[in-house]
Amino acid sequence: MTRRKRTILIDAELHLLDRQVLDVDEVPIIVVSEVELSDIEFDKPIPPNASAPTITALLSGPVLVTRIFGGKPPRSRLHTIDWKVVSKIGIVISLRVKGSTLDVTWGERWISEHVIQRIPGGKNDPH
Amino acid sequence: MKKILGLALGILTAIGGFVDIGDMVTNAVVGSRFGLALAWVVPIGVIGICVFAQMSGRVAAVSGRATFEIIRERLGARAGIANLAASFLINLLTLAAEIGGVALALQLASSIAPALWIPVAGFAVWLVVWRVKFSILENVTGMVGLTLIVFAVAVFLLHPNWSDLLTQTLHPRVPRSEAPATYWYYAIGLFGAAMTPYEVFFFSSGAVEEKWSAKDLGQSRVNVLVGFPLGGALSIAIAACAAIVLLPGGIKVTSLSQVVMLVASAGGKLAVAFVLVGIVAATFGAALETTLSSGYTLAQFLGWSWGKFRRPAEAARFHLTMIVCLIIGMGVLATGVDPIAVTEFSVVFSAIALPLTYLPILIVANDPQYMGKYVNGRITNGFGVIYLVIILVASIAAIPLMIISGAGA
Repeated sequence: MTRRKRTILIDAELHLLDRQVLDVDEVPIIVVSEVELSDIEFDKPIPPNASAPTITALLSGPVLVTRIFGGKPPRSRLHTIDWKVVSKIGIVISLRVKGSTLDVTWGERWISEHVIQRIPGGKNDPH
Repeated sequence: MKKILGLALGILTAIGGFVDIGDMVTNAVVGSRFGLALAWVVPIGVIGICVFAQMSGRVAAVSGRATFEIIRERLGARAGIANLAASFLINLLTLAAEIGGVALALQLASSIAPALWIPVAGFAVWLVVWRVKFSILENVTGMVGLTLIVFAVAVFLLHPNWSDLLTQTLHPRVPRSEAPATYWYYAIGLFGAAMTPYEVFFFSSGAVEEKWSAKDLGQSRVNVLVGFPLGGALSIAIAACAAIVLLPGGIKVTSLSQVVMLVASAGGKLAVAFVLVGIVAATFGAALETTLSSGYTLAQFLGWSWGKFRRPAEAARFHLTMIVCLIIGMGVLATGVDPIAVTEFSVVFSAIALPLTYLPILIVANDPQYMGKYVNGRITNGFGVIYLVIILVASIAAIPLMIISGAGA
């Protein structure tokens, strides 16, 4: 949050995990599953004067099963939303881009193109 | 007129909760076995659902977040998914039962076997969910469902012994022919039927569909305060009809046709016509409510785009979920299972799953980050905490009572 002069304290678990992400048009995109941090090497001691890690991305993927039974899905299965496109953190996380430009919405697009749009009326406006 | 139509969301929600296919039969069963000795449960349930729905409606109007988004966010993934699994399954069973209910009601009107009506009913539900505007959907089913008021009229036409009914209500006693565990099992069933979670999912998501904001809070309150008491009154009226006609003869209710007969004996053909229209509208409305709720719960939990206010192509997974659920529901019915038995179980399971849905809403309704100055007042919180206790007790007692009473046998 270096862009702002005023700093806010955010608890990653309370304010980021399991929060709804909306795109620039307020369309729901995903719920945050994981947060990716920078600069920490796994399993190595952290030097005392190292700079604090920063959030690099919000991740989303099939984590529900692993949250219940343990383990974690391979990194390649998780989709990334770059932290740079996050515009606001409130009761939802807002992005400054359209959801359709992100990889994470491929499932929605696939079902829309291959199933829903083929049913008559699928593209019609909701009068 | 616009004011009256503005109440449709509350009325449709309440019809789905209080006088759907399972409740119509359960209320008649309760009336025929216990008289009005369980009528006291209904006001407790009505106040409970008013508190619950009003909180969820207020959260939805002020923060724009519907109930299941909040459940995921507050409970986290683990407890959240337990709740999702339970709520989604109950909802799916109820959905199957309601489509069966539409088929049963159409059978009574047409003498065509329900098996033939099931695909028609299922397709009709999908068509409405796919194409019909949300406000038309709720207005038509809600208003036509009001013809069920004929049950209340029937109570008067039956010329009951009023003091007798009053004694049954005010001095409830377990009839000698029934075990206490059975009495309490039905008490929890009635409470669960009043406070079904899908009512709240539907009501709060409907508030988002209708784009309610903080200035619509008054409308939300009126919706709740008119809709649910009306639903509760109808369910007591059904029990009263059964108590007047069937209790003295010791006749047990097993089917929907007996419920219609109650009205027939009071008001003849005209009343039957009303009640059939009402039952079709109410079960159809409940089928819409549960179908939409299946899409709402899954989409909100997983953060998908949802809502009838979007093009189907822009809420693709939401619409696909509903299609799949309708197909599964019809598949369940194709096994020949009795839809009424299905809902009797699902209301008890609703009571078990309720705390996990209720608590997150109670917490968020007190969170100023979401609610700003619209956080719960002292009175609401007083009721909120009292009902938290009642809900917990009902939830814990449900399974033991179910086993002891042999599921109300």
